Amino acid sequence: MKLPLCKRSTTGCQSQTIFTLIAPLLLLTLSACTTTTIDEYRESPSQLTMNGNETVVVLGRRHAGDYETEPKFIDCIGESLNKAPTVTVLPETTFVDALYPWFEPRTAPLGLRRLEKMLVDPLIGQHIRQHGVRYMIWVDGSTATTDKDGSVSCAIGPGGGGCFGFATWEKTASYEAIIWDLNQLDERGRVKVNAKGSSYLIAIGAPIPIIAQVQDKACAGIGKQLRTFFTEQ
Amino acid sequence: MLAVAPNLKTTFKLPAKLLLAVCFVLSLSGCATHVEVSGTFPKPLSRQYPFTTTLVFNEDFRNYRFENLAPREVSVAVGDTQVQLFQAVSGSMFKGTEVRDLIPESVTTDLIFKPTVADVQIAMPYETQLKVFEVWIKYNIELFDHNGELIAAWVMPAYGKTPTRFLKSESDALNQAAMVALRDAGANLITSFGNVPQVKAWLAAQNAKGAALTP
Repeated sequence: MKLPLCKRSTTGCQSQTIFTLIAPLLLLTLSACTTTTIDEYRESPSQLTMNGNETVVVLGRRHAGDYETEPKFIDCIGESLNKAPTVTVLPETTFVDALYPWFEPRTAPLGLRRLEKMLVDPLIGQHIRQHGVRYMIWVDGSTATTDKDGSVSCAIGPGGGGCFGFATWEKTASYEAIIWDLNQLDERGRVKVNAKGSSYLIAIGAPIPIIAQVQDKACAGIGKQLRTFFTEQ
Repeated sequence: MLAVAPNLKTTFKLPAKLLLAVCFVLSLSGCATHVEVSGTFPKPLSRQYPFTTTLVFNEDFRNYRFENLAPREVSVAVGDTQVQLFQAVSGSMFKGTEVRDLIPESVTTDLIFKPTVADVQIAMPYETQLKVFEVWIKYNIELFDHNGELIAAWVMPAYGKTPTRFLKSESDALNQAAMVALRDAGANLITSFGNVPQVKAWLAAQNAKGAALTP
């Protein structure tokens, strides 16, 4: 079908063929918009200090019944925080396994008073100190689909297959990070992030997803904001 | 031509049968979830009681498999992994551990510790409309002294959940939720053992007898 067009105008044909090839790829790389709101609270305007041996551990809250702070999100924040030159992040699983069973959902400290008791306990306190943990960042929240509409149907037969339809869904990521200083035994700050975005799936033959990277944006936002507690940006 | 036609017919029939068989197998596997729970446990951080214990894992415990047929067929085998867990926890809690299949007539250890599975329940996202897979395990724990006299019997619940993830299979998610539940069982045992009233009383009695108890 395209060959006759080529004969009429070579330049136009080439650009049309290239567009036909590139358009799906362009659509695939498109991502929908995400709105991110970040709130921050600091105990003091001064930056959080760390010496060479001290580390930060980012931990997810897992005690709620209806959701769970995603381990992948915690890893993402850890990676983002590790970009700060003065910060060394201890991976969540390394810390939780080394302190097993004292940071499981059943036993993890929900407040500073409980943490203080744990630090005073020679068995637990010594192991936390061995890992050089100076700051503990607790992250609580989750990403959820808050709305969805439309539908896409796919069919397959002897001559081939395809999809047709339009679907959209909205995701909201809501997280709060609280920084505890283990030396001072107090809270040093909080960062709250809300990210919201709509994704689309357009199907005319092949399905073309336009995905809002809600959780990634929330991670980038909270990670960047947490870095400002430790270094000047 | 007449001789060739039957051959051709046979040649085309085989892939069709194969396709049907594959579809049938796929439709079967799409409905059922079978999980052999596997994973490792970190070395628990626990104070050690100055006693030795015999762990008794009977055949039911070693081969425990939870099975549910409706609304979907699901089976979760926790036997091997829970044996590993109790051995790891006991190894940290007591100064010596032996393992037996049945309660022995005479033992050389101070205590006999016998866990049994009372119940297992699972909840899948399609049942709860939550984005988590959940596993509950209820253990009955019996603790005997070296003479076989019952010191304490109590119920120990454990719970684990894991969030759903895009392109993650139900089997992987259930395995992970069961591992979290088993870790929770270990946490519960370590933190509550000394607080079970009868155990507490027995420990106090041993302490009064002069044993150096510092848990």
